[in-house]
Amino acid sequence: MALDFDRSIIGSEFDRTVFAPVTKEAVVEYASTSGEPARNDATAPPTFVLRLRGHRWMPENMPKNLGRAGFDAGKDIDFGVPVRIGDVLTAVSTVHDIYEKTGRTGSMAFVVLRTVVTNQRDEHVAIIDQKMMFR
Amino acid sequence: MILDLHTHSDASEDSRAPVETYMKWLVRKRDVLPIDGIVLTEHRQWDPQADYRQLEDKYGLLILRGAEVETDYGHVLVYGVNDDITSHFDFTNVRLSAQELIPAVARMGGVAVPCHPGRPTIGLCEHYEHKPPIEDVVAVEALNGGSRRGENERVQHLIERYGYHAVGGSDSHLVSFIGICATEFDDDIRSVEDLVHSLQRGRYRPLDFRDRLKKDA
Amino acid sequence: MPTRFEDVDVGHDLQTLSLTLSGEQVKSYAIAARMPGGRFMSDEEARKEGLPGQIVPGNMSLALFSRVIAESFPGATLKKLSATFRGLVHPARPFVVHGVVTEKHRTDHGDLVECDLVLESTEGDRWVTGTATVQFPPRG
Repeated sequence: MALDFDRSIIGSEFDRTVFAPVTKEAVVEYASTSGEPARNDATAPPTFVLRLRGHRWMPENMPKNLGRAGFDAGKDIDFGVPVRIGDVLTAVSTVHDIYEKTGRTGSMAFVVLRTVVTNQRDEHVAIIDQKMMFR
Repeated sequence: MILDLHTHSDASEDSRAPVETYMKWLVRKRDVLPIDGIVLTEHRQWDPQADYRQLEDKYGLLILRGAEVETDYGHVLVYGVNDDITSHFDFTNVRLSAQELIPAVARMGGVAVPCHPGRPTIGLCEHYEHKPPIEDVVAVEALNGGSRRGENERVQHLIERYGYHAVGGSDSHLVSFIGICATEFDDDIRSVEDLVHSLQRGRYRPLDFRDRLKKDA
Repeated sequence: MPTRFEDVDVGHDLQTLSLTLSGEQVKSYAIAARMPGGRFMSDEEARKEGLPGQIVPGNMSLALFSRVIAESFPGATLKKLSATFRGLVHPARPFVVHGVVTEKHRTDHGDLVECDLVLESTEGDRWVTGTATVQFPPRG
């Protein structure tokens, strides 16, 4: 039977978090452990945006029949202005899509979560589409 | 005539390759990848409106269309998709019956080829270990450019035991993987109908260009 | 490494990274990236989650892709980055990160270069594949 769930969840916002200002310590720690360079001393490396963890990483009303939460299956990131030390970032997350497919490990449901990140000047910092695999 | 029978454009959710960029890449790499065309086999979908004739004319390459669907015996490439086939089978269903699909596609004027048969769970080899063979299989994808070590090799046993013909395809999801594996046909192919007819006749063989590409790098 | 759009050719190979990550490096990244899941911390914690051993976070693979882009095109700006995680990446196993330029174009949004990226084992098993769009500084 095809994956059956309430499609009204798609497009629904499930988290909105305003983060504490970005610190130099957090940027230095991220850059040193990832090996990823930043453009200059005042900015963070591009994938620093993936460090943002909202209050909720999954909607409360996720369909129960998708299976156990599994793995990160992939990401698409659209970068805007770089993250600067001192920035106050806001991340708004929605359910972007849900679909099913089969792979080496069997039948899986995929949930695409979209997070839009802006800074205190309301500038576009990043749009992150994360594919979560459930089975 | 050399065609890459298994490719995905950015219409498939896990591919990032625009069709036109595939064409530009193939023209640029013509000396190491002598590919005459590709078949777009998008995951779990069929768009009757998609039309690549302008790109064919612009780049001098054949662009045909099929689909990759998901069944209880693994994934299957469907060539010769028509309204009859799509009205009988929902391509978004990941649990299609292969025993129904493959013979029905043949009756309705197409041909369905199990792909990456050596892959765990979604390849034919594993299913044949505990299920009866499928009727009306004419060919299997013996060479898949995305398979891991050992997976293509597992298919030889299947081919020898059941007498299946063998095709090759890149299973490309990125531009730079187009054409790395392909199928060489003895027949001239200008249309999907020609392709279906040729696949039924069996005068073709898989080709592997990966070593050639390594030398070119 | 090219710093000008004019000097980039389609088919140009990106800088290659050959790496073997230690378990400690993976754990340190996971903590810095605020990903404290057991699967990234140790083999023992990962096995409790049903995994064969400690795994490298997908985000770390993305960071490695970004690093290859930065080293390949100094001064250029990463505009898009994508990755599909096709297999588990484990510490203590050597792998290679490499890529190639697949397209370049001038647009209203700047001079852009498109790249394919791959993280694979030394035996050629592709664990992560992806793409990047890189913007070059304007001329003059």
